[in-house]
Amino acid sequence: MSGAPAVLAESLVKRYPVLGGVRDIVRRPFRKRTTTALDGLSLQVGRGRAFCLLGPNGAGKTTLIKVLTTLVLPDGGRALVNGHDVVRRPGLVKDTVGYAINDERSFYWRLTGRQNLEFFGALVGLRGPGRDAKISEVLRLTGLEAAAGLRFNAYSTGMRQMLAFARALLTDADLLFVDEPTRSLDPLAADKVRTFLRRELVDRRGKTVFWATHDLAEAASMAHEIAVIDRGRVRLQGSPSALAGGAAGTLREVYESALAAGRGADEERKAPVPEQGGGP
Amino acid sequence: MSGARRAARFAGKLLAFLRRDFLEALTYRFTFVSSLFGIFLSSATFYFVSRLVPPGAPSLEPFGGDFFAFAVVGVAFSSLLGIFQEGLPSVIRGAQVTGTLEALLVTRTSVPTVLLGSSLYSLLFQVLRTGLHIGLAVAVFGLELGRVNVPGLLSVLFLTALCFLSIGVLSASFILVYKSGNPFGWIFGGVSGLLGGVVFPVSLLPDWIRWVSALLPVTHALNGTRKSLLASAALADILPSIAALAMFDAVLLPLSLIAFRLALRKAKKDGTLTHY
Repeated sequence: MSGAPAVLAESLVKRYPVLGGVRDIVRRPFRKRTTTALDGLSLQVGRGRAFCLLGPNGAGKTTLIKVLTTLVLPDGGRALVNGHDVVRRPGLVKDTVGYAINDERSFYWRLTGRQNLEFFGALVGLRGPGRDAKISEVLRLTGLEAAAGLRFNAYSTGMRQMLAFARALLTDADLLFVDEPTRSLDPLAADKVRTFLRRELVDRRGKTVFWATHDLAEAASMAHEIAVIDRGRVRLQGSPSALAGGAAGTLREVYESALAAGRGADEERKAPVPEQGGGP
Repeated sequence: MSGARRAARFAGKLLAFLRRDFLEALTYRFTFVSSLFGIFLSSATFYFVSRLVPPGAPSLEPFGGDFFAFAVVGVAFSSLLGIFQEGLPSVIRGAQVTGTLEALLVTRTSVPTVLLGSSLYSLLFQVLRTGLHIGLAVAVFGLELGRVNVPGLLSVLFLTALCFLSIGVLSASFILVYKSGNPFGWIFGGVSGLLGGVVFPVSLLPDWIRWVSALLPVTHALNGTRKSLLASAALADILPSIAALAMFDAVLLPLSLIAFRLALRKAKKDGTLTHY
């Protein structure tokens, strides 16, 4: 599977059930209500790239990551991660990816950083001296060696984010998913995270980083390639320099016009087709 | 992967869960002490209440005749059954609420392994607590055990564990999909406290409701446990309890596994597996 792209999504569809209001439930109790998170999304990401997924809130970024990391099943289309189908071979997908969940509640707060990694290391199949060596390696890589013995609840927000990367790297994954990793970090800590992801993981270690963000400047400076998604569809994909260097202007302008054009196309698709007039 | 390697990996994961929970428990230093104190208070209360009940009451005869022994065994073992029944759904609910479930499921660890691993420490702790409860009653309050029918007791406990784990899996399935309001908890938990013969024999219940007791696994579990622990009963005397528990297992075990598979599929499909 070494020749396969890191991520290949074809016509992915994901609809979530939504609860209607009391009136809806009473009037039509058996009607299924859904909201569409991914609407036929197609995307390809090459290996060894820093790939940024941009889009407004609710665009489908997190849903896409959850489908690609096998946490959510798609309703249609297909997705291959490192050549493995996320629905048919979720175990193989999990073996080759890391998902740096940036929710600090996903750790055990009363355990130390090292104890957290030992636990998650066991879950990914690490045992014995190999596990200890791997944990030391990821702690060194993320700059947390000195803090490894501290309880997680004593970590700063930046340290917690770095521990999330350390956990995601326990599998030796060559593809790392990160969802808004610099959210709620101060500027210096955010820079450290960006440098770590781009310089250390992508440039030095040849990993692929699939990076969801709202931050256009972050995407422009860090990504080899970006994709803009909105309402569950890819509106634009390309390298930031090529996109921003084109006739459309800055990346922000490109982003805004891609969203506007996409929404205009959506409205056209939804508009009723005018009735054909009867011929003479 | 070979079977032996898979088994070693599974055992390694269960040990990791056990170690995690043990290390966390160590950070709450007074839990064990307060648990012991609670056992002592409960035993002392039943010891003094038992003095109101003359020995040899007819309703207690099948269980050795002593109210204190009857109540201590009922309370100690129903707590154990409660953990078997409530451990699994509370693990799912806890992991959903604390946010750790997503991090667990993104590793190559199946949901059943997460469930079993996460509840292992509390199960073992409760087994220890039950042993201490009985031991304390013997050492401090003079509880007299009969000639213990070990094969009978082990058979009853094994079938009981399977039965209550099945109810736990059914509850966990419900929590996976509906997140809260588990009905199995009050059907098998709340009702069992009143009608399952935990602190008084079901023979004291009015005739019109006594049939409900026979439909509760806890009634047969406690009957079998008391008879083999307190009444020096022969295996033939315990057989009705064993047969009833085996029937519950035959229905609940496959039902719970099917329900769990469907619930897991639905939660992943709806994208609500880690929601709370």
